[in-house]
Amino acid sequence: MQAMLTIYKRFWQVNWAEQWQYRANMIMYLAYWLVAPIVYLAVWTTIANTQGSVHGFTANDFAAYYLTLLPVDIATTSITIHILANKIQEGTISNELMQPVHPILTNTLMYNLAFKALQLAVFIVVWIVLVFLFKPVFTFTPLSLALVVPAIALGFTIRFLIDSSITLVAFWTTRVWAIEQFVNAFGSLLSGQFVPLALMPLAVQSVAHVLPFSLGVSFPVLLALNQLPPEQIALNFGLQIAWAIALGAVFMFIWRRALKQFSAVGA
Amino acid sequence: MHILKVLGALFKINVQQELAYRVDTLVNILMSMSWLAYELIGLAIIFGATNNIGGWRYGDILALLGVFRLINTFMMMIVWPNTEKFNRGIREGTLDYTFLQPVNSQFMVSFSRIVIWNAWNMLIGVVLIVIGLFFSNAAVPGIGSIASFLLLTFSGGVIVYSVWVVLISLTFWFTKFDNNVTLMQALMDTGRFPATVYPAWLRIIVTFIVPIAVATTVPLQALRGELTWWQVAVALLAGVVVFSLSRLVWVAGTRRYSGASS
Repeated sequence: MQAMLTIYKRFWQVNWAEQWQYRANMIMYLAYWLVAPIVYLAVWTTIANTQGSVHGFTANDFAAYYLTLLPVDIATTSITIHILANKIQEGTISNELMQPVHPILTNTLMYNLAFKALQLAVFIVVWIVLVFLFKPVFTFTPLSLALVVPAIALGFTIRFLIDSSITLVAFWTTRVWAIEQFVNAFGSLLSGQFVPLALMPLAVQSVAHVLPFSLGVSFPVLLALNQLPPEQIALNFGLQIAWAIALGAVFMFIWRRALKQFSAVGA
Repeated sequence: MHILKVLGALFKINVQQELAYRVDTLVNILMSMSWLAYELIGLAIIFGATNNIGGWRYGDILALLGVFRLINTFMMMIVWPNTEKFNRGIREGTLDYTFLQPVNSQFMVSFSRIVIWNAWNMLIGVVLIVIGLFFSNAAVPGIGSIASFLLLTFSGGVIVYSVWVVLISLTFWFTKFDNNVTLMQALMDTGRFPATVYPAWLRIIVTFIVPIAVATTVPLQALRGELTWWQVAVALLAGVVVFSLSRLVWVAGTRRYSGASS
């Protein structure tokens, strides 16, 4: 246990130092992240202002929603495919496979976290400017902000496992990016990134509740904004834990198959 | 025409490259179809909740999406692939060979890589414009409107291209500036909706700094006959001015180029 902690600490230090080197790039990556939510925010605000509200959502509700979504999305997103897909395709991942620890659950995980930490640090400045520009009224409470911490941790676990499982497909095919784009595009409709799920047709909403995408985005956002009744909160935490376990099993299954596949190619 | 001959040769090489990876081409076309589905689902959700966005109805937005696709395809087909090549050229010094060739260097840097399959997306763009206009019950546009639409779309493309030329030229001064176009790529998505819905600060950025709105919203306004002749003239003049300026920046930049190893 102690040894494991030391390993994680070291991986953190290495990845943090590496990220810190590229802090200027961070601003560019942020621009990517920001544009889509701001476009949707502008579109929905315009609509809400013309007709007073959209299914009960006022312009302020949209501003509060999207400006909460931005930090939550950065906190729960996973960039495993950007870190590993090329390494797998070029075979340079073998260096990491030599190490006596699971490369994705140590190095890649810490890379994700270091990237996030620095990105959030840069983002805070941008966020303050955006709050000043859109002037939303947030409905956070101390309790909702406390509960959102485990919700974000579990949300990240889920998105990390989905993204990492997709990345592993790179062991079989070079078209892994197409698969990822496809899942991301339709995931963004079902997660609440595109629009609050409450505005979706009921059929889509029920599909979204069955799938794990909303657990890493919509759930933490609504939780932070204190818009969920207690039984919904309990249910979603339960779903998060169940999905995390299920996706963990899927990930480990694909991982074992992928390793066999890889040694077969390399031999 | 010497330059047309070169362009023809480049075109041929790129078609051959594409044919070498036929399955990839097919996958790319399937992907672009599913992006279209994604965009249409997005619009369906928005228009399930309202019948207009800042005065733009479903048909108008659909047509705008078509114009956006034309411009965005131009970027994906020519501009972004050549940026990648250019930045690698600067880093590894292979740009030397481009300058040694007896063809205009800006031309070679801009058009040596053409991702042909994207032509398919141009077609979808045109179809979206036609269907969009049909849905919006717009009067069939007159010859004047169609002509100014075509001219403005072209000049919009030229303006976006010129901004790109300035951005990559900056690499001659700041060698480590290899995420030169990231901000531009990120802002492209704003072209999916009329610039008039954005808050003033964003509208200023997408009109004057990274002029995507000039290439998408403005041509469509012309097609719908909303622009006076002098507004069209100013927009066209802006294209000529911006292009000339970008040309000056490129020439000044190339004078500073000294190769990667020296």
